Amino acid sequence: MKPKEITIVSGKGGTGKTSLTAALVSFAPQRTVLCEADVDAPDLEILLHPVKVSEHPFMGMRTAAVDAERCIGCGKCESVCRFEAIDMSSGKAVVDKTFCEGCSACTLVCPQECILMEDTRQGTWFFGQTDFGPMVHARLNPGGENSGMLVQLVRKEARLTAKKTGAGIILTDGPPGIACPAISAVTGADIALIVTEPTMSGRHDMLRIAELCERFGAKAAVILNKADLSNEGAVKIEEACRENGLPLLASIPFLLDVVHAVAQARIPSEELKSYIGPIWEKLMKL
Amino acid sequence: MSDRPLAIAVASGKGGTGKTCVAASLLVTVPGLIGADADVEEPNLSILLGAEPYESSLVETPLPIIDQDRCDRCGECVKACRFGALNMFGDSFPAPNDLCHGCGVCSMVCPKNAITETGKPIGEIRLCRGNGLNIFEGRLHVGMPNPVPVIHATVEAAMAEKRNLVIDCPPGTSCPMVAAVRRADMVVLVTEPTPFGAADLDLALQVIRNLNKPAMIVINRADLGGADIDSLGRRYSVPVAARLPFSRSIAESYARGNPPASMDPQWKEAMLSIWESTERMSGN
Repeated sequence: MKPKEITIVSGKGGTGKTSLTAALVSFAPQRTVLCEADVDAPDLEILLHPVKVSEHPFMGMRTAAVDAERCIGCGKCESVCRFEAIDMSSGKAVVDKTFCEGCSACTLVCPQECILMEDTRQGTWFFGQTDFGPMVHARLNPGGENSGMLVQLVRKEARLTAKKTGAGIILTDGPPGIACPAISAVTGADIALIVTEPTMSGRHDMLRIAELCERFGAKAAVILNKADLSNEGAVKIEEACRENGLPLLASIPFLLDVVHAVAQARIPSEELKSYIGPIWEKLMKL
Repeated sequence: MSDRPLAIAVASGKGGTGKTCVAASLLVTVPGLIGADADVEEPNLSILLGAEPYESSLVETPLPIIDQDRCDRCGECVKACRFGALNMFGDSFPAPNDLCHGCGVCSMVCPKNAITETGKPIGEIRLCRGNGLNIFEGRLHVGMPNPVPVIHATVEAAMAEKRNLVIDCPPGTSCPMVAAVRRADMVVLVTEPTPFGAADLDLALQVIRNLNKPAMIVINRADLGGADIDSLGRRYSVPVAARLPFSRSIAESYARGNPPASMDPQWKEAMLSIWESTERMSGN
């Protein structure tokens, strides 16, 4: 049977995705594979302490490299580059790897043919073992590109692992935002679980990620976290969920004990236990 | 007064540490600043400042158009595109999809000169005004994968005003964050002293070091967590500019849409000192 893929997202950062993902897996009703898809701020490993099974380089798009000896400093590459990734200030072309998107336009115009596209490592991904099952996780190099590609890769590996181990659930800790890594994290997921907070920003961002989920065919549901920080805000989230057909699975108050557990790199499982059981029941019925 | 306008970028690594609170608080505290919301996936700065949009312009990226009278379906463009952004099925003409980065390579390689470009809207810049403040708000259209051109356009538009500027950056440590801080004179990294905050700050500090930017750290909710942010800062020679305690009343007022510095003297003082250090470190 195909495992159920649940991706935790939020739009807005810092609503509690990672803490909730960890609490959810500690009470999962079936064997679960964990997947870290917030690859440029990967924090799930801090709570789950995976024991490393294997480590693999992540090669992103190939990027341009100039052979400085043959470069005559004509600047043609700089003029065609639309990403301002070529610096001519030294008199010769130098590619700034932080900005090169790998299109290869520069290689097409170089009269010296001295620009080549080279393999570029953009990060690392891992297999790990946790107390709650296998985990696929990744780290993008700081400032790296192609985070969407890396998200696709860890999700693919998580699906393969689920197939091999017969796991019934894949639980993915997703990135904030709505752009390429978020698109890669929700596409093909059975459920996108949106964690929000009772703020104006939380509501605004929840509606944007919900729209994204609808567009990319993932069924969205909502958890309202830190619900008691604003009663007025909480009511607005409830209304927005009703108006947009988003099931609100739980409202969790702001619990200092959760903050303290996370501060000790510990899963806030006991602290959240009474909320997590009902969430799983509803999730498995969606 | 400053000799030239300064741009201060507020970034974080981890989301939800209080970037937008710091950016909004700088704007309501330091006179004469304008704002740019470069967190274009989730722009929240105007919401927090009660600024309303009064004008909007589209941000477009180049998108190829294939002249079907000239195209002989040779497939060179499809082969040259490194983003898989041109599809050709069977006898069809090549057609661009959402993966297009607008690099122009397809038109460069077309032997029939059959490819020109049009603009494809991927987002907008809204000019927002309220409470005496002007904000350039970048918004990525939902469903578009690449926020970077919208970030660049938003920061450029705000910088063209030649005023002192606060840039509210996206979370994370990948290309959107890099794009948002690229033009800044100073980067303020907002963190919290939790293991998550420290781990993500470490990544953000590596990015800032690679970009060779001056930076300072603001520790928000400084009394919650106990992770050692100071020694992390020392390791990168980045000073801690302010420590702000957790306050339920600040969290509640944020939830209602009020920036902390509008009600809390400690925040106000911290914002003034961040701005003064920025002026000093930039030699103004």
